[in-house]
Amino acid sequence: MAQIGSFALILALALSGYSFLFGLLALFLPGAISARLGETARRAGIATFALVLLAAVVLVTAAFQDDFSIAYIFHHSNRDLPIPYKFAVLWSGQEGSLLFWSMLLATYGLVLRLRHKTDERLFAYASVIIAAVQVFFLLLLNFAARPFGLMQGSLPPDGSGLNPLLQYPEMVIHPPMLYLGYVGFTVPFAFALGALIMRYPGEKWIHITRRWTMVTWGFLTCGVFLGAHWAYSVLGWGGYWGWDPVENASLMPWLTGTAFLHSVMMQEKRGMLKVWNMWLIFATFMLSIFGTFLTRSGVVSSVHAFAQSSIGDWFVAFLALIFATCVFFYVKNRSHLRSEHKLEALVSRESSFLFNNLLLLVACFTVLWGTLFPVLSEWVQGTKVTVGPPFFNRVNVPVALLLLLLTAVGPLLAWRKTSVESLKRNFQWPTAGALGVGILLMVTPASWGGPFGMRPWRDVSALYALMTIMLSVLVALTVASEFVRGGRVISRHTGQGLLASMVHLCHRNTRRYGGYIVHFGVIVIMIGFAGAAFNQDKEQEMGYGDKMNIGAYTLLCKSYTQDDKPNYGSEWAVMEVYKDGKQIDTLYPERRFYKASQQTATMVANRSTAKEDLYVVYEGLNQDTGRPIIKVHLNPLVMWIWVGVWMMIAGTVIALIPNAVPVRVTAPARVQTVPAGAGD
Amino acid sequence: MTTANLICGLVTLATLFYVFYLPGQLHLGPEKTRLAYLRERKEVVYENLRDLNFEYKAGKFPDADYQSLKSSLEEEAAAVLAEISHLEQAATAAAAVRSGTKKGARV
Repeated sequence: MAQIGSFALILALALSGYSFLFGLLALFLPGAISARLGETARRAGIATFALVLLAAVVLVTAAFQDDFSIAYIFHHSNRDLPIPYKFAVLWSGQEGSLLFWSMLLATYGLVLRLRHKTDERLFAYASVIIAAVQVFFLLLLNFAARPFGLMQGSLPPDGSGLNPLLQYPEMVIHPPMLYLGYVGFTVPFAFALGALIMRYPGEKWIHITRRWTMVTWGFLTCGVFLGAHWAYSVLGWGGYWGWDPVENASLMPWLTGTAFLHSVMMQEKRGMLKVWNMWLIFATFMLSIFGTFLTRSGVVSSVHAFAQSSIGDWFVAFLALIFATCVFFYVKNRSHLRSEHKLEALVSRESSFLFNNLLLLVACFTVLWGTLFPVLSEWVQGTKVTVGPPFFNRVNVPVALLLLLLTAVGPLLAWRKTSVESLKRNFQWPTAGALGVGILLMVTPASWGGPFGMRPWRDVSALYALMTIMLSVLVALTVASEFVRGGRVISRHTGQGLLASMVHLCHRNTRRYGGYIVHFGVIVIMIGFAGAAFNQDKEQEMGYGDKMNIGAYTLLCKSYTQDDKPNYGSEWAVMEVYKDGKQIDTLYPERRFYKASQQTATMVANRSTAKEDLYVVYEGLNQDTGRPIIKVHLNPLVMWIWVGVWMMIAGTVIALIPNAVPVRVTAPARVQTVPAGAGD
Repeated sequence: MTTANLICGLVTLATLFYVFYLPGQLHLGPEKTRLAYLRERKEVVYENLRDLNFEYKAGKFPDADYQSLKSSLEEEAAAVLAEISHLEQAATAAAAVRSGTKKGARV
């Protein structure tokens, strides 16, 4: 088994090396020789996929067969591990996750190489660049992090087991989503670098990579928020985002990728920001590699880093090589990236995209600085200084508020320039609505619970929460006005009802209106974040019949007990939940002890509603009294975050659907001479 | 020979056959020309005009803003169309010269 896996990886390395070297040679040779050589390089890339897939299948099969002769299987699996987690073994450790990275890259490469007829020359360049990245990961798998290394000495009867923190349903899908996001950015990077190297005329490469980028961004969004949900559900600290280095590593490419998705529209529409976009996608790719490096190298300590090793040097060298390559071709061909237009006015759609990009980059740089600060401080001072959530929040909360403001303003601004009259026409009602909601939240009694009864003059977090909600309302109203106005135009010309017309509107420009739905999702998430300003928590030792009050809830400890299962032993309590004197639920907070790995894990009991989460943690038994210690968090509006993520996913999916044939809307009589003005 | 060796051998043969067996003629697609780029650009400018028209109909812009934005887009479209026309004429003339040269050579 191990022999087949190892052989598949060696052959895959040879083929991806061939795909890179001979693909590169084919780009510079003339005529028929070039075409034949290029075709063999393309096929070698496709065959690499089959071989890396074979290696991954071999590793998973070994996990299912409990083949502990393979060291990786011994260290990350055990006989009693439930079946879904046997799949998770593939990405639970260093070597397996690098194999998984390589497999996903090969899959993306396969799709790209099968679609090469779209633009053969551009795809040939992209294919060579992807092959180069593939070579790096296959070198790692063959020489630095071998997944099929064998155990020395006698065969162990059982494995060490999977890390308990990973034995959670979301962990079966969180890493694949995150990796699909990380790896996927290789494709737009490859096209961008390819277009720069060949001085590709025009913006068609952006059009070709648009769907790739959106799919990748969608996967990364899922990955980031699944990680947040996992941290909330498993770590038992009552929060979902702790500015942990590995969380930050996934956020950074997401921030630059988001900036790219926006600014690329300026290049498509106006031929502007070509250098900026090129470097944004270069940075996004490098941050994806950097994220993998942070997760896998152990250079910074993290609750999410499930591996520590010496492959860090490989990644540093690879990152340096990528950077040098990007700089070289940028310097060589920068004249090709000359902008076709200039920014005409400060108040315009272009400037809103530009500010949006600057803010996203400020956020990204802050996260990068805070993440690397322990490493940098150790270099400079010799002592590791860690910066905590206050540092990140101090910069990123105001940045997020400004981004919300731009999310509200941007869609209603015109390309090129926007007049004051236009601003008045588009913003007076949304602004009035946002102010009205703000006043309502301030005048309501505090006894209604957060976010009602806000007193922003007393507390800066309440001020931020109030501003977040007001700006979210502003975004919601401006986006809703876009749907209603567009829907009315279609309704006038088709006779459909307003709702049907709005659906029609989405169909005719899926990218724009799908994007607006993503914005709706973002504001729902932001409202969820604002709820954190009103979090409460309480900790208490609770015996039979003991009560705890928090917010409007009373918790009664009915019993506590222990259980034993093949994979783990557990302690848990039965907590009845009362509100206004009536029992509304029963919760079972639990703490598990995994036998194979000899580690504990928390299973949080969470009663989640749109208003708030009642989040109950079994912290352990007091050794003196033998009674459980229970910690309860009351977290307002957390459910909004997860609902918002679903909305973002829905918006992304809509944006990926091809546009329907547009409705013909006749232009006013005096503009009939516009070349394309008689369109929609 | 073990089963693993046999599988490895078969995988290698299949891979080599797939990669290097290329029956028939192969041609790489043509290089993208300035003309092809301009045609793409024309479509983009037309799309921008359509978007502007739709947003005007939706009541997002006052009349003066619309006229100003429209005329700047029309100017851009006109410049692109003029260059397309120029390049197409040049291409037609070049083709005519080539065809004339061939006929002359035959005579």
